[in-house]
Amino acid sequence: MYISGLVRKELGRLRSDKRTLILLFTIPLILIIIFGLTSGGGPSGFFRAAIITKDDMDCFGDFPSNSTEYDDVFISIFQNNLTSFGLETYYNVSNEFAYNNAYIECEQMLKNEIIDVFIVLVENFSETIENNVNTELLYFIDASNFDAIKSINVSMLEPISLFKLEIGKTANFSMLIPYLEFEVPFWESQVLNYAFALTIPLIIIGTTMNLSCLSIVSEGPLPRMLITPTSKKSIILSKLIANSLIMILQAGEIFIATAIFGLYCLGSLFELFLVFLAIGLCGVSMGLFISSISKTDQQANQLYMVFFIVVLLFSGQFVSVGSLPPSMKVIIYSFPLGYGIPLVLDITLKGVSIHFGLFSGLLIISTVYVILAYLSYLFKKVEV
Amino acid sequence: MKNKSPKNLVVNVKNLEVFFKKKQIINNVSFQVYKGEIIGLFGISGAGKTTIIRVLTCQIKKKHWKGIVTVTNITPGKKQNNSKILEKIGYVPQLELLNLYYDLSPLVNVEIFASNYGIKKDNALKIARDLFKILDIPEDTWNNPLKNLSGGEKKRVSMAIGLIHKPSVLFLDEPTTGVDANKRYDILNYLKKLNRKLGTTMFIITHDLEAALVCDKTAILREGKLLEFDTPYKLISSLASDGQLVRFTIENLDEKIIKKIKQYPLCKDISRTGNNVIEVFIQDLEQNYSNLIEYIINNNIKIISMSRDIANFRRYFQLRIKEEEEKEFKEK
Ligand SMILES: Nc1ncnc2c1ncn2[C@@H]1O[C@H](COP(=O)(O)OP(=O)(O)OP(=O)(O)O)[C@@H](O)[C@H]1O
Ligand SMILES: [Mg+2]
Repeated sequence: MYISGLVRKELGRLRSDKRTLILLFTIPLILIIIFGLTSGGGPSGFFRAAIITKDDMDCFGDFPSNSTEYDDVFISIFQNNLTSFGLETYYNVSNEFAYNNAYIECEQMLKNEIIDVFIVLVENFSETIENNVNTELLYFIDASNFDAIKSINVSMLEPISLFKLEIGKTANFSMLIPYLEFEVPFWESQVLNYAFALTIPLIIIGTTMNLSCLSIVSEGPLPRMLITPTSKKSIILSKLIANSLIMILQAGEIFIATAIFGLYCLGSLFELFLVFLAIGLCGVSMGLFISSISKTDQQANQLYMVFFIVVLLFSGQFVSVGSLPPSMKVIIYSFPLGYGIPLVLDITLKGVSIHFGLFSGLLIISTVYVILAYLSYLFKKVEV
Repeated sequence: MKNKSPKNLVVNVKNLEVFFKKKQIINNVSFQVYKGEIIGLFGISGAGKTTIIRVLTCQIKKKHWKGIVTVTNITPGKKQNNSKILEKIGYVPQLELLNLYYDLSPLVNVEIFASNYGIKKDNALKIARDLFKILDIPEDTWNNPLKNLSGGEKKRVSMAIGLIHKPSVLFLDEPTTGVDANKRYDILNYLKKLNRKLGTTMFIITHDLEAALVCDKTAILREGKLLEFDTPYKLISSLASDGQLVRFTIENLDEKIIKKIKQYPLCKDISRTGNNVIEVFIQDLEQNYSNLIEYIINNNIKIISMSRDIANFRRYFQLRIKEEEEKEFKEK
């Protein structure tokens, strides 16, 4: 087997095709820039809010005296410069009638898009904090704007963090938001970081699969190669190696680009990069598989789309894996993101080091796809 | 020089039969090729030329063919055997697009293929330069993307690739197709030159009957059967009067006139080779030459000019195929 020559051939082919090469490296960059700008500190990251506090109203809590006015602190945090919120106005209501009026006004402002959210501090707001009981934070969002819901949910962590610092208490807030257990410091780009776990692996899979999915079908002289002492095994292997080398560069680029856009990583950056590489390897081998089963470039492109959508659907983000029947779990775990996303989340947000099982899952998947690619190429009819 | 000892036997084919899905493509073909010979494979489209070459170059699975086949004393079929054979043979496919990396330069192309034979880069470049010089590929194109080369130059790069590892046999599938008439002779001359310089045995599949000029032996295939396998000279000599013919230019030549001449008792064959031109083969031309002319004149056919010549391979091929067709027609 004379692999090194074949690898050089692959790299030479990639290098000579300047247009594709540029696309391979600019597309992920553009995606991340778009993603980074729209989800990072950009305009959509800033929301106008109104607050209605019912803290002054009587309640049946443990502290009827109503002595501590934590709601003022909370409001003052909103009045000071928050990166994610500006306070339009606030209402201090002391009876149900005033509350109803305030509520109607806020609702109207929400409708007219004067505000993006209004927050209601409940009657026993201060009492629960003082007593270290779960504090409820009620906030109303225009439900027609899906993006805003998500972003506001996340951004809400900023005032809460500041509030906790201010009062020197670790009050628990039960907000029905999915990210409660993790905390990205508010000075980091929060939306980016929470959505990052899905988006970045997806960008890696997409670009690396794109890299290799035409590599076999579009190479005219490949059948001719087989009338030399070269074996199909070395051809697949050389493609895997060459594409992986390019993939490493792509993953590196994505890694750096995300860092520039405020990626917050509690765990080891090196391990995160390793995870990127493993995800990239899956992309490369899935691309090779696509390329080996396709008869034409067009077929390969179509299959690429199909695979991409399937990878996205079975990323474990749209269906919760835990509640699935075992047969469906198998499907999810035969696509890379079911492993990739938890790994990325673990490292960036929890600061946990690489989970061995998940990581080997990625490696096994890429091995399986390479073997499948080899087998289908082995039985593929190639003629000069 | 061409020694027919078993030691020099490069390709041996005996009773080869090829089947695809029960359909017989090649029917009981046998021939031997010795070191240094140039073999021309001729036959109309679909005759099975490419199929035979594909057997010899290990491209057809063993289950599709029967018979004895050895290439450089190895039988194709098993994987180890195939790679041993592939080390020793070169192949120049019909279409450049399937053979060359258009975006890469001629030198890089050669280097890529050379690496498959374990030839190191420096060595490959050296051999490539030598071959390019023999093949007259302009030096200023060696480092440009191959797509900028002319069709004929691409063809020659493709040949250089086939020869990079100094194979003992080179198979060329229609090396002159798609190249203009002058260049066709050039290519044939290059092949002859390479054959002399490197002693490479060559198989040339071609529709270009002039190519027989450079062939030591010619094979004529028809519908999977090998009709002839011999030197072009011998084949031509097997025609009436050793292939000697009379060429007439005749005024207002038409089918009626041809039919008339055909009725001349000693006439063996007539082929119309131009608007007003026919070539006539008769028995014992030397003695009956004047007789024939007399016969024509007596029939009020006006001869504009005439000459004597020896049949070329094209003529032989046409007559041989016609003979076979007539034989088949009678059998039916
Ligand atoms: N893989 C195959 N399966 C079925 N039939 C085939 C296969 N390969 C070739 N044939 C048939 O075998 C016959 C001979 O084909 P082949 O390619 O050898 O012809 P050829 O002499 O090279 O013709 P041409 O001059 O047009 O290239 C054709 O009728 C073709 O249809
Ligand atoms: Mg052919």
